[in-house]
Amino acid sequence: MDRGKVSAPAPYMTAPLVAPSSEQLLARLGAYWRALGVSDPDQVAALSQQALRRVAETPESPGPDPVARVILAAGDLLDDWLARALELPRSSRELAAARAALLSGAAPDWPAALFAPPGQADAVVNALRAAIAEPAPPVKPGSMPAQRIDLFDLLSPLRRLQRR
Amino acid sequence: MQTVPASIMGHTLRRIVFFLLVLLTTLGAMALMVSVFQTDGLSPMELILLVLYAILFSWICVSFWTAFMGFFVILTGRDRWAISRQSGSAPDPAAPPPRAAILMPIYNEDSERVFAGLHAIHQSLADTGQLEGFDFFVLSDTRDPEVWVEEELRWQDMVRALDGKGRIFYRNRPENTSRKSGNLEDFCTRWGGHYRYMIVLDADSIMKGETLVEMVRIMERQPRVALLQTPPVPINRESLFARILQFAGSLYGRMFTAGLNYWQLGESNYWGHNAIIRIQPFLDHCGLPRLPGREPFGGDILSHDFVEAALLRRAGWEVWLAYDLEGSYEEIPPTLIDYAKRDRRWCQGNLQHLRLALASGWNGLSRLHFSMGVMSYLASPLWLLFLIATGVDAYFQTQQETVYFFGENWAPVWPVSFAVEMTTVLLVTLTMLFLPKGLALALLLKDSRLRRAYGGMVKATLSVVLETVFSVLTAPVLMLFQTKFVLAILMRRAVGWPPQQRGDHQTGFREAALTHGVQTLIGIVVGVLSYQYVPAFFWWFIPVLLGLALAIPVSMLSSSIALGRQARALGLFLTPEETAPPKVLGYLEDHLAESEPVLPVLRETPASRFVQALTDPYVNALHRSLLPPREPPGRRRRHYLEGLVHQLEEDGPESLSPAQKRDLIADPDLLLRLHALFWSRPPANAGMLP
Repeated sequence: MDRGKVSAPAPYMTAPLVAPSSEQLLARLGAYWRALGVSDPDQVAALSQQALRRVAETPESPGPDPVARVILAAGDLLDDWLARALELPRSSRELAAARAALLSGAAPDWPAALFAPPGQADAVVNALRAAIAEPAPPVKPGSMPAQRIDLFDLLSPLRRLQRR
Repeated sequence: MQTVPASIMGHTLRRIVFFLLVLLTTLGAMALMVSVFQTDGLSPMELILLVLYAILFSWICVSFWTAFMGFFVILTGRDRWAISRQSGSAPDPAAPPPRAAILMPIYNEDSERVFAGLHAIHQSLADTGQLEGFDFFVLSDTRDPEVWVEEELRWQDMVRALDGKGRIFYRNRPENTSRKSGNLEDFCTRWGGHYRYMIVLDADSIMKGETLVEMVRIMERQPRVALLQTPPVPINRESLFARILQFAGSLYGRMFTAGLNYWQLGESNYWGHNAIIRIQPFLDHCGLPRLPGREPFGGDILSHDFVEAALLRRAGWEVWLAYDLEGSYEEIPPTLIDYAKRDRRWCQGNLQHLRLALASGWNGLSRLHFSMGVMSYLASPLWLLFLIATGVDAYFQTQQETVYFFGENWAPVWPVSFAVEMTTVLLVTLTMLFLPKGLALALLLKDSRLRRAYGGMVKATLSVVLETVFSVLTAPVLMLFQTKFVLAILMRRAVGWPPQQRGDHQTGFREAALTHGVQTLIGIVVGVLSYQYVPAFFWWFIPVLLGLALAIPVSMLSSSIALGRQARALGLFLTPEETAPPKVLGYLEDHLAESEPVLPVLRETPASRFVQALTDPYVNALHRSLLPPREPPGRRRRHYLEGLVHQLEEDGPESLSPAQKRDLIADPDLLLRLHALFWSRPPANAGMLP
């Protein structure tokens, strides 16, 4: 037995794929699209290709590993479509809410809507609009000034006398 | 000449009667005590006893006469000043219909129960046909990331199930500044302008729809009223301890609240929940300052409710207790230990009132409310002091040798016995303590429907007797608990207990022994010592000693759900809410038992909702959409968060504290990055890849 070796527990996350093959990337993307609710293999393949193209078109940046980048790109594809269809600003909380509505099952046919020509996905868009969460009404500000409470102080009569 | 309105005359007369009765009874008891002590002059110990007795007896007197007035009001059925019976003014027809926000402030609560409760209230309100006048707000101050994510999912599920978009709202505060009062202030300053009223609930509150509608109706009729408190009736617990308390709260509670209203009238108090508040005066007058100085008396005002009521009164608004409004419920701690834990939380806030009671500008009754808050905890150490002083005094009495022949007397001089006076003092005290229970029972004779609801006269009487025995046994235990809390707070020491468990659960031997061990020991040691040195005192002291010596078994047995159910099957400790549950409680039970969530993600119970927020695309997107906008983190914060990400990658979520997990999922950009990270490097056991 080699007593010089120290056994360390395996890290919680699997090791990153440093230079993944396109098959590996497609496999991960496929699993991700299925988790999002896209079950048609053709749609999965088409969307995965779009995501890969998107990554290829964007300049490489330090940070996420290649697989994480394609996963982020897949999410961006959805957000692009949502922003266009629902006329929402990019990078907004509303967009995250729209993504949640899309994935909540409120519009089960949404994968087909991604491939539909503009104006042909009204039913899905309307269902999404209805399902977008509204966590709070618009803010109507009011002020609540801190009230004065004059606590009893044994020395306060003396202080009053001193002030006089 | 101006005439004094009848209401002012009537209110004043009631208070004069009440306080005169308290004063005269206290003076009478004091006179008896003084007659015993004064024969050979007052010793310092007797003086201490007298002062303690005066404070404690007047405290009992307030409670007794309150109960008596309540008995009188319910017996006669006449209370012309009850706020629900005052005609008031007709609402302005031109004014827009009132809108009320139902607020549920929560903090790391059981989300399933919270939302099942809200669902039940919503359903009950829908039954009235008045749902459109109310919006629901879940105001979360939850810090635990697991509970936080669960709450978001439950909220979204409720919105989907009830088509409640734009009516049922949820928000989690980034920082829980000033705790519950800060939570409510945040609501008032951001969304309060949309509503005329807010109805404040607690996490375990349940209210009937009709009651909510009636509360708004009363507020509309009474424009001078800023706050209307309903008396919450304890419900829904099954353990023996909780069922006994539920019975007592239900049977005696209605008499006490009627009595409170008898003398408090429009200068009543706020109990923190199950109350409706007019938002504008609350905004104008209830902003709470931080008290100068260090805790326990300085810092944030903890028991904010009393202070808010006092501030409203100071500004000239009325605060009422609608004692006759039914349909207001709350759940209570299931075991003696949980009950004590809740006391620990409330104790510090109430002790803070010691300082507030003396502040300038308060209305007289507000000062009394503050003092009553203080006394509800200070009474315990005072009782303990009283018992110790009595024991010590009794010991010294036994050490005195009786001299029968002295001076010029040729005949023996027998010692004067004050047994009659002392027995009278004791009997008066016991009567004041226990008569209200008999009065509450007597009220059942008047109402056959209510009598049946409590299981009939025989069962109700037996329940009162058993409840009395139980309260005698637990009173010394609670006395020691509260004394410990008061001392710990005054010495700025933590008592160190895990959070209170709200759901039914039983106390095991280990927990009971650890919690009550010292109390048991005190009971046994004091028992042996008093039996040895002051045997006469020992027999008087038996109820206290027995309560302490039996603390462990009493705590364990009373936490038993089986015994609670058995008692119910025998018709003991029944309450009207058990014999004929109102619809709203049925709705709650249904939702807890068999409701199928609309959201598929809620149908499964993952090991961690925190991990689910990182891995599940829907949960991740929903959580991100609910995060408030925030400034990009500074350099130091970025480094801190990066460190946490590395820790998560290497050691997994179990290695992170709840606060660290919260930090990770509180940043929207980081949340998205972590989502991609989990999908690129899925943990072996996460089941994310086929």
